[in-house]
Amino acid sequence: MQTVIEVRDLRKSYGDVERLHGISFDVQAGQIFGFLGTNGVGKTTTIEILEGYRSRNSGKVSVLGTDPAHAGRAWRNRVGLVLQESELDPVYTVRETVAMFARYFKAPTAIDRTIIAAGLSDRADERIGRLSGGEKRRVDVALGLVGDPEVLFLDEPTTGLDPAARREMWTMIEGLRDAGKTIFLTTHYMDEAQHLSDHIIILRAGSIAAEGSPDELSHKLGSTSIVSFVLPPGLTSAQLGAGIEASMDVNAGLVRFRTDALQRDLAALLRWAEREGVQLLNLQVTQPTLDDVFVELAESPQDIEPDVGSMPGE
Amino acid sequence: MLGRCPVNDLTLAAYQTRYSLVGFLRNPRAFVFTVIMPLFLLVILSTIFENLTSFIGTKTAAIYYTPAIVSYQMMLAGFNSLNQSVVADREAGLLKRFRGTPMPSWIYLTAEIVRTIAVVICAVVVLVLVGIIFYHVKVAADTVVGLAVYTVIGTAAMCALGLAVTRVCSNTDEAAVVGVFPTLILAFISGVFVPEKLLPAWLKDIGLVFPLEHLAKGLRMAFVARASTGITAEDIGVLALWGIVGIVVAIRTFRWEPVGGR
Repeated sequence: MQTVIEVRDLRKSYGDVERLHGISFDVQAGQIFGFLGTNGVGKTTTIEILEGYRSRNSGKVSVLGTDPAHAGRAWRNRVGLVLQESELDPVYTVRETVAMFARYFKAPTAIDRTIIAAGLSDRADERIGRLSGGEKRRVDVALGLVGDPEVLFLDEPTTGLDPAARREMWTMIEGLRDAGKTIFLTTHYMDEAQHLSDHIIILRAGSIAAEGSPDELSHKLGSTSIVSFVLPPGLTSAQLGAGIEASMDVNAGLVRFRTDALQRDLAALLRWAEREGVQLLNLQVTQPTLDDVFVELAESPQDIEPDVGSMPGE
Repeated sequence: MLGRCPVNDLTLAAYQTRYSLVGFLRNPRAFVFTVIMPLFLLVILSTIFENLTSFIGTKTAAIYYTPAIVSYQMMLAGFNSLNQSVVADREAGLLKRFRGTPMPSWIYLTAEIVRTIAVVICAVVVLVLVGIIFYHVKVAADTVVGLAVYTVIGTAAMCALGLAVTRVCSNTDEAAVVGVFPTLILAFISGVFVPEKLLPAWLKDIGLVFPLEHLAKGLRMAFVARASTGITAEDIGVLALWGIVGIVVAIRTFRWEPVGGR
C-alpha cells in the first residue's frame, strides 16, 4: 500500500508552550483516516500543518510526497480541503460558486457531476444564503472535491448537522473512499469515526494516546463487558448489587458497571436481585464501543489546554 | 513552478473580477454606499451652495462639487468599501478557503482592485452625467482625459490604502470605524464638503499631506480650468506615493486567516 501522508516526530509550540509533543503516523492511500481528540489537544494544529496553513517547529511531514510548508500550486491541485468553520458568500448560487472554484484547479471534475456527487442537484441554482446548514456543508464538500483531489481533508464535516443530514454525509464520504480518494477525517462523533474510519488515531494533550482500526481500539479495554440496567425505584446506588466488585456508575437513572469477569458478576447481580425481589429493568450486556475507549483514553480534563484561538498567531 | 501559465492566469483573473463584480452588484449595502450616497451628496451640496458661489470661487456650485464628490466617491469605494469587504471575506474564512486552492493570491487582490475601479468608473459616469444634465457642468476633451487618469490612479491608490489597513481591522465593525473616520475628516479638510476657499491655511496644509486633497484638487482643475487636463506632477506624484506605500504595506502585512484564529 502506498503511504499518502507521512508524519514523523511532529512538534509545534506556541510561545513557550509545546502543543504537539512529537507525533508520528502514516495514512495509506484509499483510507478514511479518523483523527480524534477533544478540543484543544492539537487536532486543529495538526490538520492545519498538513494542509499547509501552519508552520511547525520540527519533525518531518509529507503529504503526497511533498512538504506542505513549502508546497506550491502543483500540490494544491492534488489536495482538497473542507475547513471547519469557513462561510461562503451568500449572494452566489451553488453552481456559480462551484464553477468559480473549478477554475482554480488544473483538472477539475465536471461541475454538474460535482454538484450531483454532493447531493445538491435540486439546489444548484439556489443562492447559498438560502440553503440549510446541511446543504451549506455539502457545498463545502463540493468545493473540496471540485479539483478532483487525491487527498481530501474533512475537518468536522458533520458538526451541527441533524441526524438525517449526517447519515447522508456518511454515505457520501463512503462513496468518496470507493472512488479511491484518501480521506483525512476529524470528528467529535465517535459513532461517525467508528462507522467511517479504516484507521483511527486518538490524540491526547499533543501526543497519540491510541491508534488502530475501530475494532482494535474497541478491544483496547481488554475483555471488558459493560452491564447496564435501570436503577430500581426506591434504591440508591449504595444499596446496589451485593457481592459485585466492580464500582457502579449511576447516571440519569441508569446503572452501569464494567467488568472483566462477566459471568461471575452477572450471576452475582442476578442472585442479589432474586434474593431482594428487585426487578432489573432493561438489563443489558454490551461490549465497549469506540465511545467508551475515547472517554477512557482521551478525556482527561486536566490535560486540556486552552483553545488554539487564544494562542498567539503566526 | 508547474501549472504556471500567464495567459491562463490572466483569464482566471478576468473571471475572478467578474465573479467579484457580480457579488458586489448583489450586495445592496455596498451598492448604496458607493454609488447612491455620493449622488445624493452631489445634489444636496450643489443645492445648499447654489447661491453662495462667491465663497466657492467657481461659476456654479455644481462645477465645484462634481469633481469634489467624484474624488470622495473614489475614497469611499477604494478605501472604505474595499477594506470592509476584504475584512468581511477574511473573517468569514473565505480568504483562508481561497488560500487552500491553487489560485495564486495576486489574482484575488487584483480582481478586488479591478472590480473596485470598474464600479468607480460607472459611478463617476453617473455623477458627471447628472452634473452635465441637471447642473450644466461643462465637460471638455481635456476634462475627460484628466478624469480618466485621476480615476484610475486615484482609485488604485485608495484601493492600495484600503488593503493596507485590513491588517489593523479584526472585524467588520472595526473596519467601519477605520474606514469612515479618515474619509470623513479628510473630506472636510480637503475641500470636498467645505469649499477650499473657506478653509484656514493651516488646515489646508494638513490636508495637502493626504491623497484626497490632491485627488480633489487635480479633478477640480480638470473641470474648472479652461483647456487643462488638471494633471500635475505634484498631484499625481503624491497619489502614486501613497499608493505605493499602501501596496507595499498591504503585501507585507496581509492576513488570509480570520483574526479569531478559527
